[in-house]
Amino acid sequence: MDLKAEIRKYIIENFFYGQDDGSLDDDVSFLGTGIIDSTGVLELVSFVQETYGIRVTDDELIPDNFDSLNKLESFIGKKRATESRERREPSQPAISAN
Amino acid sequence: MLHTLLSQRAQDAPDTIAVIQGQRRVTYGELEQHASRVASFLVRNGTRKGDRIGILSRNSPEYIAAYLGAHRAGGIAVDINFQDSAREIKTIINHCAITTLIAENSFTDAVAGAVKDAPSVKTLISIERRARACGVARQKLPAPVEYAVLGDIIGDAQETYTAPELGAHDIASIIYTSGTTGKPKGVMLSHENIMANARSIVEYLRLREDDKVMVVLPFCYSYGKSLFTTHLLAGGTVVLENSFMYPNVVFDTMVKEEVTGFAGVPSTFAIMLNRSNFRNYRFPKLRYMTQAGGAMPPQHARQLTQLLPETKIYIMYGQTEATARLTYLEPDELQKRSGSIGKPIPGVEIEVVQSTGTPAAAGQEGEIVARGKNIMAGYWNDPEETKKVLKEGRLYTGDLGRMDEDGFLYIVGRRSDIIKSGAHRISPKEIEEVIHEMDEVHEVSVVGAPDNILGESIRAVVVLKEGRALDVHQVQRHCQTKLALFKIPKEVLFVEALPKTSSGKVMRFLLKNKLALYRAAKISPEVSL
Repeated sequence: MDLKAEIRKYIIENFFYGQDDGSLDDDVSFLGTGIIDSTGVLELVSFVQETYGIRVTDDELIPDNFDSLNKLESFIGKKRATESRERREPSQPAISAN
Repeated sequence: MLHTLLSQRAQDAPDTIAVIQGQRRVTYGELEQHASRVASFLVRNGTRKGDRIGILSRNSPEYIAAYLGAHRAGGIAVDINFQDSAREIKTIINHCAITTLIAENSFTDAVAGAVKDAPSVKTLISIERRARACGVARQKLPAPVEYAVLGDIIGDAQETYTAPELGAHDIASIIYTSGTTGKPKGVMLSHENIMANARSIVEYLRLREDDKVMVVLPFCYSYGKSLFTTHLLAGGTVVLENSFMYPNVVFDTMVKEEVTGFAGVPSTFAIMLNRSNFRNYRFPKLRYMTQAGGAMPPQHARQLTQLLPETKIYIMYGQTEATARLTYLEPDELQKRSGSIGKPIPGVEIEVVQSTGTPAAAGQEGEIVARGKNIMAGYWNDPEETKKVLKEGRLYTGDLGRMDEDGFLYIVGRRSDIIKSGAHRISPKEIEEVIHEMDEVHEVSVVGAPDNILGESIRAVVVLKEGRALDVHQVQRHCQTKLALFKIPKEVLFVEALPKTSSGKVMRFLLKNKLALYRAAKISPEVSL
């Protein structure tokens, strides 16, 4: 199952109570349609962190990253790429004066 | 009265900004004109003094124009929660016989479903800023219902109408609140109630013309509504953001608009402090923050004070039945009187009364009883329920509390089983009745379960009929068709029996603790599906 399908499945299970009524298009705004509320988005963040092993910082919790399936897919893709690059190329330790 | 106050403001300072929403700026002069044109339409359309005018909308300048326009026309504004299901909307419309419904266009389906079985509704005004040749709502409406567009009404220069004479004791507003019986109760507030409470809040918050409050709480609740009534009275500005889903967006607006005030419930502050970028913002103009709907946990109070040393934090307490506010805690007392909801607001008297009816001594627990000009006139069309809470001019709040020797009040519990989840007060009975409609269900009990963010979340504990089966999603989906989203149980547990007392009463306190529940029902947690 691809990433977007996995997130869709999670949202259908948890916010549509398991019933896909076909309204969850890839670009549909979670905020605009009221599918998810302010605590729901926190659950979604936990799911994303646990499932994809990424760390969502507080300043990343914005509509551009979380407010539709497409935005989430794009955000997770970018985060994974950044975090895996950081793991491969750890920042150089500061040079000691001694 | 609020609408006469608006006229005064429009005359004195027509260009002062009254409402900000996104890029929109609505001045007092424009708001006055819009409210007046709504009133003109209502009167010319047959609205008579005391008729109920329903408003179903998220916060917007149009909401305020509709509300004050209804008052000016002599009508009673009935706030309907925009999150309600068609069934809940219909119940309210029929309960108080709404004649005109002013509804946001996005709620077309719910409105059309509700109006179909609500014969009192003669007119539907769709909240759209511009008229559309063929509104969706119009197509779905039953034939006798007249359809109008708010954008047309406020764009119509025709204002000739004769508004009825109104007195301070005339009813201005009905706000529905969850009743312990599961049946909604319509809190009737007079013009005097609203003005008295607004004056008192303006006094203790020291609100002025240059105050700008960020509003994330809905106007359909008394706390949210009090933000616009108090700022109208002070001549200030309300800044509207209709969601706290992305708090950083709200903080951006607070910085950009240089707001001086912020109002939230405990869950707002829990999200703010635990899952937002709040710490990295600076709010040099933020003069105060208010929290109602529960005490502030000491760690939140400490964190907020550290992060915003110049901002005053007010803890407040109230009820819809008291228009909004009954007590507040002076910011200087926040650290010393942790957990307290403070002292009565100006013009309100509070007493803690024992079950025998005698006043409780300092430190002794009892029911919180209030007197003041802000206490409601009663519940709409419900003298029985009114009699239970209004006695000799005093409001029996149903909240249990104690007062210390210095007169500071502390809440210790509730007499009823009402669930407080986020900004909502929810009747377990109402949810139980809906779940009970399912043929498979033998018994059900609904309780509030502890929740770190919301305070309480909804837990349904279900006993099935022998040989019948249901899963969690089936119960939630059934609720989804009948109830507002915030009333759908987060958790559904299936047990073989509900723990009961020897007299057969369900032991709700056990249902709140999952493990205790399983022990009491003598079943293993694996029984839960």
